[in-house]
Amino acid sequence: MRVVIVEDHALLREGMVALLQEHDIEVVAQAEDGPGLLRIVQGHKPDLAICDVRLPPTFTDEGIRAALEARRRHPELAVLVLSQYVEPAYSAELLQEGEGGIGYLLKERVSEVRTFVEAVRRVAAGGTALDREVVSSLVSGRVQQGADGPSQAISALTARERETLELIAQGRTNAAIARELVVTLGAVEKHISNIFSKLDLPTTDDDHRRVLAVLTYLRATAA
Amino acid sequence: MSVELTGRRGAVVRRTAPLVAALAALWILIWMLAGFHYFWPMWPMWAFAGIFALLIARGPLQQFFVAAVAFNVLWAMTGSHYYWAGWPMLGIGLALGAPRLITGRREQQLEERVDELSRTRRGALDVQATELRRIERDLHDGAQARLVALSMKLGRAEDRYAEQPEVSALLREAREDASAAIRELRELARGIAPPVLADRGLEAAVRSLADRTGMEVELHASLARRPTPAVEIAAYFVVAESLTNAAKHAANTRAEVRLDEHGGDLFVEVTDFGPGGADPSGSGLTGLRQRVEALDGQLQVTSPPGVGTQVEAVLPCGW
Repeated sequence: MRVVIVEDHALLREGMVALLQEHDIEVVAQAEDGPGLLRIVQGHKPDLAICDVRLPPTFTDEGIRAALEARRRHPELAVLVLSQYVEPAYSAELLQEGEGGIGYLLKERVSEVRTFVEAVRRVAAGGTALDREVVSSLVSGRVQQGADGPSQAISALTARERETLELIAQGRTNAAIARELVVTLGAVEKHISNIFSKLDLPTTDDDHRRVLAVLTYLRATAA
Repeated sequence: MSVELTGRRGAVVRRTAPLVAALAALWILIWMLAGFHYFWPMWPMWAFAGIFALLIARGPLQQFFVAAVAFNVLWAMTGSHYYWAGWPMLGIGLALGAPRLITGRREQQLEERVDELSRTRRGALDVQATELRRIERDLHDGAQARLVALSMKLGRAEDRYAEQPEVSALLREAREDASAAIRELRELARGIAPPVLADRGLEAAVRSLADRTGMEVELHASLARRPTPAVEIAAYFVVAESLTNAAKHAANTRAEVRLDEHGGDLFVEVTDFGPGGADPSGSGLTGLRQRVEALDGQLQVTSPPGVGTQVEAVLPCGW
Protein backbone atom coordinates (compact mmCIF):
# COMPACT_ATOMS: atom_id res chain seq x y z
CA MET A 1 0.00 0.00 0.00
CA ARG A 2 1.34 3.41 -0.98
CA VAL A 3 0.45 6.32 1.26
CA VAL A 4 1.15 10.07 1.21
CA ILE A 5 0.93 12.27 4.31
CA VAL A 6 0.06 15.97 4.41
CA GLU A 7 0.70 17.56 7.80
CA ASP A 8 2.38 20.86 8.61
CA HIS A 9 3.70 19.75 12.02
CA ALA A 10 7.03 18.02 11.50
CA LEU A 11 6.68 16.26 14.86
CA LEU A 12 3.32 14.72 13.96
CA ARG A 13 4.33 13.98 10.39
CA GLU A 14 7.45 12.09 11.43
CA GLY A 15 5.56 10.23 14.16
CA MET A 16 2.92 9.11 11.70
CA VAL A 17 5.49 8.01 9.11
CA ALA A 18 7.31 5.92 11.75
CA LEU A 19 4.05 4.43 13.03
CA LEU A 20 2.86 3.41 9.57
CA GLN A 21 6.26 1.97 8.63
CA GLU A 22 6.20 -0.15 11.80
CA HIS A 23 3.09 -1.74 10.29
CA ASP A 24 4.57 -2.19 6.83
CA ILE A 25 2.71 0.69 5.25
CA GLU A 26 4.93 2.61 2.87
CA VAL A 27 4.84 6.41 3.02
CA VAL A 28 5.97 7.45 -0.46
CA ALA A 29 5.80 11.23 -0.06
CA GLN A 30 5.01 14.00 2.42
CA ALA A 31 3.74 17.54 2.02
CA GLU A 32 2.92 20.48 4.25
CA ASP A 33 0.02 22.25 2.56
CA GLY A 34 -2.95 21.89 0.21
CA PRO A 35 -1.13 22.54 -3.09
CA GLY A 36 1.56 20.11 -1.86
CA LEU A 37 -1.11 17.40 -1.51
CA LEU A 38 -2.25 17.87 -5.11
CA ARG A 39 1.36 17.84 -6.30
CA ILE A 40 2.41 14.62 -4.57
CA VAL A 41 -0.82 12.86 -5.49
CA GLN A 42 -0.18 13.78 -9.12
CA GLY A 43 3.47 12.73 -8.88
CA HIS A 44 3.29 9.53 -6.82
CA LYS A 45 -0.14 8.07 -7.61
CA PRO A 46 -0.66 6.79 -4.04
CA ASP A 47 -3.51 4.52 -2.89
CA LEU A 48 -4.28 6.71 0.10
CA ALA A 49 -3.72 10.32 1.14
CA ILE A 50 -3.76 11.07 4.88
CA CYS A 51 -4.23 14.78 5.46
CA ASP A 52 -4.74 17.32 8.23
CA VAL A 53 -7.69 19.75 8.03
CA ARG A 54 -5.87 22.92 9.11
CA LEU A 55 -2.95 23.64 6.84
CA PRO A 56 -0.95 26.71 5.86
CA PRO A 57 -1.37 29.41 4.71
CA THR A 58 -4.78 30.23 6.20
CA PHE A 59 -4.99 27.42 8.81
CA THR A 60 -8.72 27.00 8.32
CA ASP A 61 -10.19 24.14 6.31
CA GLU A 62 -7.83 23.86 3.33
CA GLY A 63 -7.12 20.22 4.16
CA ILE A 64 -10.75 19.34 3.44
CA ARG A 65 -10.81 21.43 0.29
CA ALA A 66 -7.53 19.98 -0.98
CA ALA A 67 -8.68 16.43 -0.20
CA LEU A 68 -11.94 16.99 -2.09
CA GLU A 69 -10.07 18.50 -5.03
CA ALA A 70 -7.56 15.61 -5.11
CA ARG A 71 -10.44 13.17 -5.04
CA ARG A 72 -12.17 14.97 -7.92
CA ARG A 73 -8.99 14.80 -10.01
CA HIS A 74 -8.20 11.20 -9.02
CA PRO A 75 -11.46 9.40 -8.18
CA GLU A 76 -9.56 6.19 -7.36
CA LEU A 77 -7.65 7.93 -4.53
CA ALA A 78 -8.73 7.04 -1.00
CA VAL A 79 -8.67 9.96 1.45
CA LEU A 80 -8.32 9.91 5.23
CA VAL A 81 -8.77 13.32 6.82
CA LEU A 82 -7.46 13.92 10.34
CA SER A 83 -8.61 16.81 12.47
CA GLN A 84 -8.22 18.13 16.00
CA TYR A 85 -11.96 18.74 16.18
CA VAL A 86 -14.93 17.06 14.58
CA GLU A 87 -17.22 19.05 12.38
CA PRO A 88 -20.23 17.09 11.10
CA ALA A 89 -20.51 19.49 8.14
CA TYR A 90 -17.03 18.47 6.94
CA SER A 91 -17.82 14.78 7.23
CA ALA A 92 -20.99 15.33 5.20
CA GLU A 93 -18.93 17.08 2.48
CA LEU A 94 -16.46 14.22 2.37
CA LEU A 95 -19.19 11.60 2.26
CA GLN A 96 -20.89 13.39 -0.60
CA GLU A 97 -17.71 12.91 -2.61
CA GLY A 98 -18.67 9.39 -3.60
CA GLU A 99 -18.97 5.98 -2.05
CA GLY A 100 -16.18 4.50 0.04
CA GLY A 101 -12.49 5.23 0.31
CA ILE A 102 -13.25 8.04 2.75
CA GLY A 103 -12.19 8.53 6.34
CA TYR A 104 -12.60 11.35 8.85
CA LEU A 105 -10.99 10.83 12.25
CA LEU A 106 -9.93 12.89 15.24
CA LYS A 107 -6.16 13.27 15.20
CA GLU A 108 -5.61 11.67 18.59
CA ARG A 109 -7.08 8.40 17.27
CA VAL A 110 -3.66 7.88 15.70
CA SER A 111 -2.46 6.95 19.18
CA GLU A 112 -4.83 3.97 19.31
CA VAL A 113 -2.34 2.39 17.00
CA ARG A 114 -4.02 -0.88 16.02
CA THR A 115 -7.46 0.67 15.51
CA PHE A 116 -5.86 3.45 13.47
CA VAL A 117 -3.86 1.09 11.27
CA GLU A 118 -7.01 -0.97 10.78
CA ALA A 119 -8.84 2.21 9.69
CA VAL A 120 -6.01 3.15 7.30
CA ARG A 121 -6.15 -0.27 5.64
CA ARG A 122 -9.94 -0.22 5.48
CA VAL A 123 -10.11 3.22 3.86
CA ALA A 124 -7.32 2.37 1.39
CA ALA A 125 -9.30 -0.74 0.43
CA GLY A 126 -12.34 1.41 -0.40
CA GLY A 127 -14.05 1.23 2.99
CA THR A 128 -15.10 4.00 5.36
CA ALA A 129 -13.82 5.23 8.71
CA LEU A 130 -15.84 7.86 10.51
CA ASP A 131 -14.82 9.08 13.93
CA ARG A 132 -17.11 7.85 16.70
CA GLU A 133 -17.70 11.45 17.77
CA VAL A 134 -18.99 12.41 14.32
CA VAL A 135 -21.23 9.38 14.24
CA SER A 136 -22.57 9.84 17.75
CA SER A 137 -23.30 13.54 17.17
CA LEU A 138 -25.17 12.68 13.96
CA VAL A 139 -27.01 9.75 15.53
CA SER A 140 -27.92 11.59 18.75
CA GLY A 141 -29.16 14.48 16.63
CA ARG A 142 -31.48 12.09 14.83
CA VAL A 143 -32.61 10.52 18.10
CA GLN A 144 -33.51 13.84 19.69
CA GLN A 145 -35.48 14.90 16.64
CA GLY A 146 -37.96 12.09 17.21
CA ALA A 147 -40.55 13.75 14.97
CA ASP A 148 -41.55 11.46 12.14
CA GLY A 149 -39.87 9.46 9.38
CA PRO A 150 -36.48 7.75 9.78
CA SER A 151 -35.65 9.59 13.01
CA GLN A 152 -38.56 7.90 14.74
CA ALA A 153 -37.18 4.57 13.61
CA ILE A 154 -33.80 5.46 15.13
CA SER A 155 -35.40 6.38 18.44
CA ALA A 156 -36.98 2.91 18.47
CA LEU A 157 -33.49 1.41 18.86
CA THR A 158 -32.32 0.23 22.27
CA ALA A 159 -29.20 1.81 23.76
CA ARG A 160 -27.15 -1.29 22.87
CA GLU A 161 -28.45 -1.29 19.30
CA ARG A 162 -27.60 2.40 18.98
CA GLU A 163 -24.04 1.74 20.17
CA THR A 164 -23.79 -1.05 17.63
CA LEU A 165 -25.11 1.23 14.88
CA GLU A 166 -22.51 3.86 15.78
CA LEU A 167 -19.77 1.27 15.51
CA ILE A 168 -21.10 -0.01 12.19
CA ALA A 169 -21.21 3.54 10.90
CA GLN A 170 -17.58 3.96 11.93
CA GLY A 171 -16.86 1.10 9.59
CA ARG A 172 -16.05 -1.57 12.19
CA THR A 173 -16.35 -5.29 11.50
CA ASN A 174 -18.62 -7.52 13.58
CA ALA A 175 -15.59 -8.99 15.36
CA ALA A 176 -14.31 -5.48 16.21
CA ILE A 177 -17.75 -4.48 17.45
CA ALA A 178 -17.97 -7.59 19.66
CA ARG A 179 -14.54 -6.74 21.12
CA GLU A 180 -15.49 -3.12 21.72
CA LEU A 181 -18.82 -3.91 23.40
CA VAL A 182 -17.42 -6.99 25.17
CA VAL A 183 -20.18 -9.27 23.88
CA THR A 184 -20.23 -12.40 21.74
CA LEU A 185 -20.22 -12.31 17.97
CA GLY A 186 -23.69 -13.88 18.02
CA ALA A 187 -25.03 -11.03 20.17
CA VAL A 188 -23.62 -8.45 17.71
CA GLU A 189 -25.25 -10.24 14.79
CA LYS A 190 -28.56 -10.23 16.63
CA HIS A 191 -28.28 -6.47 17.36
CA ILE A 192 -27.48 -5.81 13.73
CA SER A 193 -30.41 -7.78 12.38
CA ASN A 194 -32.67 -5.91 14.85
CA ILE A 195 -31.27 -2.55 13.70
CA PHE A 196 -31.86 -3.35 10.06
CA SER A 197 -35.38 -4.54 10.61
CA LYS A 198 -36.21 -1.45 12.73
CA LEU A 199 -34.59 0.89 10.18
CA ASP A 200 -36.16 -1.00 7.31
CA LEU A 201 -32.78 -1.51 5.62
CA PRO A 202 -31.99 -4.51 3.44
CA THR A 203 -30.06 -7.11 5.45
CA THR A 204 -26.98 -8.54 3.82
CA ASP A 205 -23.85 -10.35 4.93
CA ASP A 206 -21.66 -8.05 2.94
CA ASP A 207 -19.88 -5.75 5.43
CA HIS A 208 -19.15 -3.12 2.87
CA ARG A 209 -22.67 -2.79 1.55
CA ARG A 210 -23.98 -2.83 5.09
CA VAL A 211 -21.77 0.10 6.10
CA LEU A 212 -22.80 1.99 3.01
CA ALA A 213 -26.46 1.43 3.82
CA VAL A 214 -25.97 2.96 7.27
CA LEU A 215 -23.92 5.84 5.86
CA THR A 216 -26.48 6.51 3.17
CA TYR A 217 -29.07 6.67 5.88
CA LEU A 218 -26.99 9.03 8.04
CA ARG A 219 -26.14 11.20 5.06
CA ALA A 220 -29.75 11.43 3.92
CA THR A 221 -30.94 12.57 7.33
CA ALA A 222 -27.94 14.85 7.98
CA ALA A 223 -28.53 16.95 4.86
CA MET B 1 -42.65 75.00 19.27
CA SER B 2 -40.54 72.02 20.06
CA VAL B 3 -37.88 70.70 17.73
CA GLU B 4 -36.36 67.24 18.07
CA LEU B 5 -32.65 67.28 17.45
CA THR B 6 -31.28 63.80 17.11
CA GLY B 7 -28.55 61.99 15.22
CA ARG B 8 -25.43 63.41 13.64
CA ARG B 9 -27.20 66.37 12.00
CA GLY B 10 -28.72 67.36 15.32
CA ALA B 11 -25.31 67.26 16.92
CA VAL B 12 -23.88 69.61 14.27
CA VAL B 13 -26.75 72.10 14.75
CA ARG B 14 -26.36 71.95 18.53
CA ARG B 15 -22.65 72.58 18.25
CA THR B 16 -22.93 75.58 15.90
CA ALA B 17 -26.09 77.11 17.45
CA PRO B 18 -24.38 78.90 20.38
CA LEU B 19 -21.86 80.44 18.01
CA VAL B 20 -24.57 81.73 15.68
CA ALA B 21 -26.58 83.04 18.65
CA ALA B 22 -23.48 84.85 19.93
CA LEU B 23 -22.83 86.42 16.49
CA ALA B 24 -26.48 87.50 16.33
CA ALA B 25 -26.25 89.08 19.79
CA LEU B 26 -23.07 90.90 18.72
CA TRP B 27 -24.89 92.10 15.61
CA ILE B 28 -27.79 93.48 17.72
CA LEU B 29 -25.30 95.29 19.92
CA ILE B 30 -23.53 96.93 16.95
CA TRP B 31 -26.87 97.83 15.38
CA MET B 32 -28.09 99.41 18.63
CA LEU B 33 -24.85 101.31 19.19
CA ALA B 34 -25.02 102.55 15.58
CA GLY B 35 -28.40 104.16 16.38
CA PHE B 36 -30.98 101.67 15.13
CA HIS B 37 -30.85 102.81 11.51
CA TYR B 38 -32.62 100.83 8.86
CA PHE B 39 -30.30 98.25 7.36
CA TRP B 40 -31.69 95.52 5.05
CA PRO B 41 -29.50 92.46 6.03
CA MET B 42 -30.88 92.61 9.54
CA TRP B 43 -33.99 90.67 8.40
CA PRO B 44 -32.15 87.49 7.34
CA MET B 45 -29.91 87.92 10.39
CA TRP B 46 -32.99 87.98 12.64
CA ALA B 47 -34.42 84.97 10.91
CA PHE B 48 -31.21 83.00 11.50
CA ALA B 49 -30.96 84.14 15.09
CA GLY B 50 -34.60 83.24 15.76
CA ILE B 51 -34.38 79.78 14.23
CA PHE B 52 -31.19 78.89 16.06
CA ALA B 53 -32.52 80.31 19.31
CA LEU B 54 -35.60 78.07 18.98
CA LEU B 55 -33.43 75.07 18.10
CA ILE B 56 -31.18 75.44 21.11
CA ALA B 57 -33.99 76.27 23.54
CA ARG B 58 -34.68 73.42 25.93
CA GLY B 59 -38.02 73.21 27.73
CA PRO B 60 -41.05 75.52 27.67
CA LEU B 61 -39.52 78.21 29.94
CA GLN B 62 -36.57 78.87 27.66
CA GLN B 63 -38.79 78.73 24.60
CA PHE B 64 -41.10 81.30 26.18
CA PHE B 65 -38.20 83.67 26.81
CA VAL B 66 -36.86 83.23 23.32
CA ALA B 67 -40.29 83.88 21.82
CA ALA B 68 -40.78 86.96 24.04
CA VAL B 69 -37.39 88.35 23.08
CA ALA B 70 -38.09 87.77 19.38
CA PHE B 71 -41.50 89.48 19.70
CA ASN B 72 -40.09 92.53 21.48
CA VAL B 73 -37.26 92.87 19.01
CA LEU B 74 -39.68 92.78 16.07
CA TRP B 75 -41.90 95.38 17.73
CA ALA B 76 -38.92 97.65 18.33
CA MET B 77 -37.65 97.25 14.80
CA THR B 78 -40.95 98.09 13.10
CA GLY B 79 -40.75 101.53 14.82
CA SER B 80 -37.15 101.94 13.66
CA HIS B 81 -36.44 104.43 16.44
CA TYR B 82 -35.08 104.31 19.94
CA TYR B 83 -36.88 101.80 22.08
CA TRP B 84 -36.15 101.52 25.80
CA ALA B 85 -36.77 97.75 25.98
CA GLY B 86 -33.80 97.11 23.68
CA TRP B 87 -31.24 97.02 26.50
CA PRO B 88 -33.13 94.68 28.89
CA MET B 89 -33.88 92.47 25.93
CA LEU B 90 -30.21 92.25 25.08
CA GLY B 91 -29.55 91.41 28.74
CA ILE B 92 -32.09 88.62 28.74
CA GLY B 93 -30.72 87.32 25.44
CA LEU B 94 -27.19 87.23 26.82
CA ALA B 95 -28.35 85.73 30.13
CA LEU B 96 -30.01 82.92 28.20
CA GLY B 97 -27.31 82.60 25.57
CA ALA B 98 -24.20 82.65 27.76
CA PRO B 99 -25.01 79.48 29.77
CA ARG B 100 -25.90 77.81 26.50
CA LEU B 101 -22.51 78.78 25.13
CA ILE B 102 -20.85 77.10 28.11
CA THR B 103 -23.14 74.03 28.30
CA GLY B 104 -22.98 73.78 24.51
CA ARG B 105 -19.25 73.44 24.70
CA ARG B 106 -19.52 70.94 27.54
CA GLU B 107 -22.08 68.98 25.58
CA GLN B 108 -19.82 69.03 22.59
CA GLN B 109 -16.95 67.74 24.69
CA LEU B 110 -19.16 65.02 26.14
CA GLU B 111 -20.31 64.00 22.69
CA GLU B 112 -16.76 63.80 21.46
CA ARG B 113 -15.87 61.76 24.53
CA VAL B 114 -18.78 59.37 23.95
CA ASP B 115 -17.77 58.99 20.30
CA GLU B 116 -14.20 58.31 21.30
CA LEU B 117 -15.17 55.83 24.03
CA SER B 118 -17.55 53.93 21.72
CA ARG B 119 -14.83 53.74 19.09
CA THR B 120 -12.10 52.59 21.49
CA ARG B 121 -14.38 50.10 23.25
CA ARG B 122 -15.30 48.60 19.91
CA GLY B 123 -11.64 48.50 18.99
CA ALA B 124 -10.82 46.83 22.31
CA LEU B 125 -13.51 44.18 21.75
CA ASP B 126 -12.26 43.53 18.22
CA VAL B 127 -8.72 43.20 19.52
CA GLN B 128 -9.95 40.87 22.25
CA ALA B 129 -11.82 38.68 19.76
CA THR B 130 -8.81 38.54 17.46
CA GLU B 131 -6.57 37.71 20.44
CA LEU B 132 -8.91 34.90 21.51
CA ARG B 133 -8.73 33.47 18.02
CA ARG B 134 -4.97 33.67 18.15
CA ILE B 135 -4.95 31.85 21.50
CA GLU B 136 -7.24 29.21 20.06
CA ARG B 137 -4.88 28.78 17.10
CA ASP B 138 -1.83 28.68 19.37
CA LEU B 139 -3.47 25.98 21.47
CA HIS B 140 -4.10 24.03 18.30
CA ASP B 141 -0.62 24.45 16.90
CA GLY B 142 1.28 24.30 20.17
CA ALA B 143 0.06 22.38 23.19
CA GLN B 144 -2.54 20.29 21.36
CA ALA B 145 -0.17 19.22 18.60
CA ARG B 146 2.51 18.30 21.15
CA LEU B 147 0.03 16.27 23.16
CA VAL B 148 -1.07 14.44 20.02
CA ALA B 149 2.59 13.70 19.20
CA LEU B 150 3.09 12.50 22.79
CA SER B 151 0.03 10.24 22.76
CA MET B 152 1.13 8.88 19.38
CA LYS B 153 4.52 7.90 20.83
CA LEU B 154 2.83 6.34 23.87
CA GLY B 155 0.54 4.44 21.51
CA ARG B 156 3.51 3.11 19.55
CA ALA B 157 5.25 2.06 22.77
CA GLU B 158 2.06 0.35 23.97
CA ASP B 159 1.88 -1.48 20.66
CA ARG B 160 5.52 -2.56 20.91
CA TYR B 161 5.19 -3.82 24.50
CA ALA B 162 1.92 -5.67 23.88
CA GLU B 163 3.58 -8.86 25.11
CA GLN B 164 4.25 -7.33 28.53
CA PRO B 165 0.80 -6.65 30.02
CA GLU B 166 2.07 -4.61 32.99
CA VAL B 167 4.10 -2.24 30.85
CA SER B 168 1.47 -1.95 28.16
CA ALA B 169 -1.29 -1.27 30.74
CA LEU B 170 0.79 1.57 32.18
CA LEU B 171 1.43 2.95 28.72
CA ARG B 172 -2.26 2.71 27.86
CA GLU B 173 -3.14 4.70 30.98
CA ALA B 174 -0.59 7.35 30.07
CA ARG B 175 -1.99 7.52 26.53
CA GLU B 176 -5.54 7.84 27.87
CA ASP B 177 -4.43 10.68 30.16
CA ALA B 178 -2.90 12.46 27.19
CA SER B 179 -6.15 11.93 25.24
CA ALA B 180 -8.16 13.38 28.13
CA ALA B 181 -5.91 16.48 28.13
CA ILE B 182 -6.39 16.83 24.35
CA ARG B 183 -10.17 16.60 24.81
CA GLU B 184 -10.12 19.26 27.53
CA LEU B 185 -8.07 21.60 25.36
CA ARG B 186 -10.49 21.03 22.50
CA GLU B 187 -13.48 21.90 24.68
CA LEU B 188 -11.64 25.01 25.89
CA ALA B 189 -10.94 26.10 22.32
CA ARG B 190 -14.54 25.44 21.31
CA GLY B 191 -15.78 27.55 24.24
CA ILE B 192 -13.75 30.51 22.95
CA ALA B 193 -15.22 30.17 19.48
CA PRO B 194 -15.95 27.08 17.43
CA PRO B 195 -13.32 26.53 14.70
CA VAL B 196 -15.98 26.36 12.00
CA LEU B 197 -16.94 29.98 12.81
CA ALA B 198 -13.43 31.23 12.06
CA ASP B 199 -13.07 28.88 9.09
CA ARG B 200 -16.37 29.30 7.30
CA GLY B 201 -18.23 32.18 8.92
CA LEU B 202 -21.49 32.66 10.77
CA GLU B 203 -23.86 30.87 8.43
CA ALA B 204 -21.83 27.63 8.37
CA ALA B 205 -21.32 27.76 12.14
CA VAL B 206 -25.06 28.22 12.75
CA ARG B 207 -25.84 25.38 10.36
CA SER B 208 -23.44 23.17 12.29
CA LEU B 209 -25.14 24.19 15.55
CA ALA B 210 -28.52 23.34 14.09
CA ASP B 211 -27.24 19.88 13.12
CA ARG B 212 -25.97 19.26 16.63
CA THR B 213 -29.05 20.34 18.59
CA GLY B 214 -31.14 17.60 17.06
CA MET B 215 -34.10 19.96 16.69
CA GLU B 216 -35.62 20.75 13.35
CA VAL B 217 -34.08 24.14 12.58
CA GLU B 218 -34.95 26.27 9.59
CA LEU B 219 -32.16 28.68 8.70
CA HIS B 220 -32.68 31.81 6.61
CA ALA B 221 -29.41 33.63 6.06
CA SER B 222 -28.65 36.48 3.70
CA LEU B 223 -25.25 37.85 4.61
CA ALA B 224 -23.09 39.13 1.81
CA ARG B 225 -20.21 40.18 4.07
CA ARG B 226 -18.50 38.87 7.17
CA PRO B 227 -18.83 41.01 10.30
CA THR B 228 -15.84 41.63 12.59
CA PRO B 229 -14.82 38.68 14.81
CA ALA B 230 -16.35 40.32 17.91
CA VAL B 231 -19.77 40.72 16.22
CA GLU B 232 -19.56 37.26 14.65
CA ILE B 233 -18.84 35.59 17.98
CA ALA B 234 -21.62 37.51 19.77
CA ALA B 235 -24.12 36.59 17.03
CA TYR B 236 -22.99 32.95 17.21
CA PHE B 237 -23.53 32.76 20.95
CA VAL B 238 -26.99 34.40 20.65
CA VAL B 239 -28.03 31.56 18.34
CA ALA B 240 -26.22 28.87 20.37
CA GLU B 241 -27.75 29.92 23.70
CA SER B 242 -31.24 30.34 22.23
CA LEU B 243 -31.20 26.95 20.49
CA THR B 244 -29.80 25.25 23.61
CA ASN B 245 -32.59 26.78 25.69
CA ALA B 246 -35.19 25.71 23.15
CA ALA B 247 -33.85 22.14 23.03
CA LYS B 248 -33.68 21.99 26.83
CA HIS B 249 -37.28 23.00 27.40
CA ALA B 250 -38.89 21.28 24.43
CA ALA B 251 -36.81 18.69 22.59
CA ASN B 252 -39.48 18.06 20.00
CA THR B 253 -39.97 21.66 19.05
CA ARG B 254 -39.11 23.38 15.80
CA ALA B 255 -37.03 26.52 15.53
CA GLU B 256 -36.28 29.22 12.98
CA VAL B 257 -33.08 31.22 12.73
CA ARG B 258 -32.78 34.39 10.66
CA LEU B 259 -29.57 36.24 9.89
CA ASP B 260 -30.01 39.48 7.96
CA GLU B 261 -28.10 42.67 7.41
CA HIS B 262 -29.89 45.95 7.10
CA GLY B 263 -28.66 49.53 7.33
CA GLY B 264 -25.22 48.60 8.68
CA ASP B 265 -26.66 46.34 11.38
CA LEU B 266 -26.68 42.57 11.73
CA PHE B 267 -30.07 41.15 12.75
CA VAL B 268 -30.17 37.80 14.50
CA GLU B 269 -33.55 36.29 15.23
CA VAL B 270 -34.16 32.90 16.82
CA THR B 271 -37.76 31.75 17.17
CA ASP B 272 -38.87 28.49 18.69
CA PHE B 273 -42.34 27.08 19.04
CA GLY B 274 -41.78 25.57 22.48
CA PRO B 275 -43.58 26.26 25.76
CA GLY B 276 -42.45 29.94 26.05
CA GLY B 277 -42.34 31.63 29.44
CA ALA B 278 -38.57 32.11 29.36
CA ASP B 279 -37.14 34.33 32.11
CA PRO B 280 -35.26 37.22 30.42
CA SER B 281 -33.31 37.80 33.66
CA GLY B 282 -32.00 34.22 33.73
CA SER B 283 -28.23 33.85 33.73
CA GLY B 284 -27.99 32.64 30.11
CA LEU B 285 -30.03 35.47 28.63
CA THR B 286 -28.37 38.05 30.89
CA GLY B 287 -24.97 36.90 29.67
CA LEU B 288 -26.14 37.26 26.08
CA ARG B 289 -27.52 40.74 26.77
CA GLN B 290 -24.17 41.83 28.21
CA ARG B 291 -22.33 40.40 25.22
CA VAL B 292 -24.65 42.20 22.77
CA GLU B 293 -24.80 45.51 24.67
CA ALA B 294 -21.00 45.65 24.92
CA LEU B 295 -21.10 45.98 21.12
CA ASP B 296 -23.75 48.75 21.31
CA GLY B 297 -26.34 46.24 20.22
CA GLN B 298 -29.76 45.41 21.59
CA LEU B 299 -31.27 42.14 22.70
CA GLN B 300 -34.97 41.55 23.02
CA VAL B 301 -36.68 38.45 24.37
CA THR B 302 -40.38 37.79 23.89
CA SER B 303 -41.64 34.60 25.42
CA PRO B 304 -45.41 34.42 25.93
CA PRO B 305 -46.31 31.12 27.71
CA GLY B 306 -47.79 28.56 25.37
CA VAL B 307 -46.67 30.37 22.21
CA GLY B 308 -42.88 30.07 22.06
CA THR B 309 -39.79 32.19 22.50
CA GLN B 310 -38.28 34.78 20.24
CA VAL B 311 -34.82 36.19 20.82
CA GLU B 312 -33.85 39.14 18.65
CA ALA B 313 -30.45 40.79 18.59
CA VAL B 314 -29.40 43.85 16.60
CA LEU B 315 -25.65 44.29 16.31
CA PRO B 316 -24.15 47.40 14.68
CA CYS B 317 -21.43 46.34 12.24
CA GLY B 318 -20.22 49.69 10.98
CA TRP B 319 -20.59 48.47 7.39
